[in-house]
Amino acid sequence: MLITELKPKEEVIARTKGKVLLIQCEGCREVFFPAEQVNKFKQELKNSTTITDDITWDYLCNHEYTKIRIENSKQKIMLADSIIIFSCGVGLQVVSNLISKPVFPGCNTLYVNGFQGLTPNQCDCAQCGDCFLNYTASICPITTCSKSLLNGPCGGAKNGKCEVDKEMDCGWEKIYKKLESLGRADILKGVVKLRDYTKVI
Amino acid sequence: MEELINYTKFVLKPKEEILSSLKDEDNIFILSCGKCFKEFKEIPARRQLALAGGKEPECEEVAKILSEQGKRIVGCLPIDFLCNRTLTEKIISQKKEFSITNCLAVISCGIGIQTVAELTDKSRKDFYLRDKPVYSAANSIYQGGYHGMALYEEKCAACGNCLLGLTGGICPIVKCAKELVNGPCGGAKNGKCEVDKTKDCGWQKIYERIRTLGIIEKFEMVSPYRNYLIPDFKTRNTYNISLREKRYRNFYGGVYPYENKELSKNRSITSAPEPERVVIPLLQHTGLICEPLVKVGDKVKVGQKIGEGVSYISASVHSSVSGKVVAIEPQNHPCTKEKVMSIVIVSDGQNILDGSIKPKGKLENLSAEQIIEIVKQAGIVGLGGAMFPTYVKLKPPADKKIDVFILNGAECEPYLTADERVMIERAEDVIYGMKALMKALGVEKGYIAIEENKPEAIEKLRVTSYELRDNVEIVELKTKYPQGAERMLIKKILNREVPLGGLPFDVGVVVNNVGTAVAVAEAIKTGLPLIKRVVTVTGEKIKNPANLEVKIGTSFKDLVNFCGGILNENTEGGTYLLRMGGPMMGLIQEILDVPVIKGTTGILVTSAKDIKLDLSRPCIKCGRCVDICPMLLNPSSLGFYAEKENWQEMNTLDVMNCIECGCCDYICPAKRSLVEAFKLAKKKIKCS
Repeated sequence: MLITELKPKEEVIARTKGKVLLIQCEGCREVFFPAEQVNKFKQELKNSTTITDDITWDYLCNHEYTKIRIENSKQKIMLADSIIIFSCGVGLQVVSNLISKPVFPGCNTLYVNGFQGLTPNQCDCAQCGDCFLNYTASICPITTCSKSLLNGPCGGAKNGKCEVDKEMDCGWEKIYKKLESLGRADILKGVVKLRDYTKVI
Repeated sequence: MEELINYTKFVLKPKEEILSSLKDEDNIFILSCGKCFKEFKEIPARRQLALAGGKEPECEEVAKILSEQGKRIVGCLPIDFLCNRTLTEKIISQKKEFSITNCLAVISCGIGIQTVAELTDKSRKDFYLRDKPVYSAANSIYQGGYHGMALYEEKCAACGNCLLGLTGGICPIVKCAKELVNGPCGGAKNGKCEVDKTKDCGWQKIYERIRTLGIIEKFEMVSPYRNYLIPDFKTRNTYNISLREKRYRNFYGGVYPYENKELSKNRSITSAPEPERVVIPLLQHTGLICEPLVKVGDKVKVGQKIGEGVSYISASVHSSVSGKVVAIEPQNHPCTKEKVMSIVIVSDGQNILDGSIKPKGKLENLSAEQIIEIVKQAGIVGLGGAMFPTYVKLKPPADKKIDVFILNGAECEPYLTADERVMIERAEDVIYGMKALMKALGVEKGYIAIEENKPEAIEKLRVTSYELRDNVEIVELKTKYPQGAERMLIKKILNREVPLGGLPFDVGVVVNNVGTAVAVAEAIKTGLPLIKRVVTVTGEKIKNPANLEVKIGTSFKDLVNFCGGILNENTEGGTYLLRMGGPMMGLIQEILDVPVIKGTTGILVTSAKDIKLDLSRPCIKCGRCVDICPMLLNPSSLGFYAEKENWQEMNTLDVMNCIECGCCDYICPAKRSLVEAFKLAKKKIKCS
């Protein structure tokens, strides 16, 4: 469940040298992968650089499968001087551990809400190690407030939208409204629990 | 095999905190998450505990803490993948205990807790959870970098600004305790981090790696800062919303595989060469095998009935050529591993029609009973692949009132284009057959369901059905697999839910495939029984993909050869995978020497997988199959019990509701053959 975006072309080829091998991951089915852009990009690369081969595998992150596949196409891989990998960071690291050649990422990996829970979910959890949901009507202040404030709103919101990012709802306003509807707004008068950052290792 | 890392993302809160947050509450229900990314081992014990009284270690601990303070525990319930809102809602709404509950204590990561909290917001009046406070009884722990499908040591923090190209493929953000991106801090001793002595210094590893790679001279940090601005909220949110929209589009679950229909999409239907020899299995339908009506040595004609059904649910078989019966013996069958009794006929090449083949008159003059009889005599079965006898579908039980007929032209299975070509080229027959079927059922309202990736077919049918516009509606469906399954069609078009274990009859609907409608039209117009059908022969390994009109009993081999044969069959890397049907539900064939039967929608030849199926790994509980199962089952648990051959447990987990769509097989990162195991389980449960 890792979402990837294509890196700028200059950044990708800045450090590659000699003959290049392309490896693309088509794993993590049903998750965003910029397949079209990658294909276009590959085509451009083929016009400007020597490409030894263009391989597509699924689930590059699966160490065992990737190991077998690399073993099977060892000869092709040995021909290349550098390798560009279009996959998430996990896939790339698996390959780089298996091949002793310089490996370059073609994509940036993005984090998406609900990620830890696998089903894309609008709720998000920062895994802070010190759950605050009991005080905030089960709306997380760390992820819904752009400033991750724990002691109430910053006062910068306008019409319920965050001042940092106008696309974003003000988390504290949501918390307040929910608490009010539950008749528990008095919780906010209590002592603010401090966030223990040592719990995040 | 590498060891999987236990990826539990939460721990129980301290006793004092649980008690202080719940001090004013009583009648507490405890919900706990079954935990993702964890080995499956502990689950049976957990489930048995759950069955014994809804307890699992963590549930039990919280229950103990609370009951010591005199609080009443209404119940405990472990739910797998609590964050999956649809499933959680389904499970929770079945629990009556919630009506006497004052509040919920949830043991899960923050996402699970928030999902449950969102459910309490429901505006539905009958929902037991409405406005009940939700308390968290666990803290989520940060496991930075443990993302992705395979839980090995490799890590990615999904920072949105990949630096791995600079650092030889070792991530400084996850491997350096300080997430430094411009080199080591200098505090490491003997290669160990100063923050945590059990941890290796990430930068030392990076240094060693780039030295062995020989890129150390060129090493310089061009952009030695981390851009915390990406990904911004909007980007993430767009992805998030779009992912959820895709998952809930038309119906819950389902997948979007590569379609690859363009291989054969624009090839008109052509006739396959006349077979010299046909093998007609006596079992080409759901139900009991037919009895042969001919003997070895008999002369038969085209359309002559050669096998008769013996039970109510069955369909007779007819000869597709004229010639001589040379054998009645068990032959290869595309649906089963065992050989099936079949009639082998050598054609005389003359195609003399049987005397019984006569047009049945005008549709207006035929009564419903007459149409049903014609359909029965013609041996027509569902041509979408399920091969259920059509006449049985036309005779609903007396207590079921049928008010809607749906003609299924969704053809959601990738690669296949037979139905699409039939709709384009035989639109008149499709509509004629539909009229006949609606007349037989006595329904007024009809829908034709087509996925939007077939614009030509939609246009053609819209024009052809113009005179019926008051009663027949063409529904353009967003492309998604398995949209063509009956349940999904009924849900999307009529928003009716077929009860689990029920049939479309139960909600007043009959669904038939477009190919079936054409067969019905043919049976009425010319009197010909079902002796030929349109088959898509396609796949990357087929030289000239085509849509062929094929006589039943023709060998796959003849058709593949007619389409130019299999590419690179005898050269290196020439291994192929042969399926009857599409890549999702198609049945894998070991040999080419099998006959086309009534349910053969396509012959698909693709490259063999480079990873063999026997390399499938144990379930990692990633939950992807649970996320996409359109029947809201839990394939990961089912797969686990299938391995243990615990059919009874699988039955309680509703394996009988599996529609064998193949979504779970498709998505499984561990490449498990789940559907195969479920089919076996269903057989075992039926037999017991």
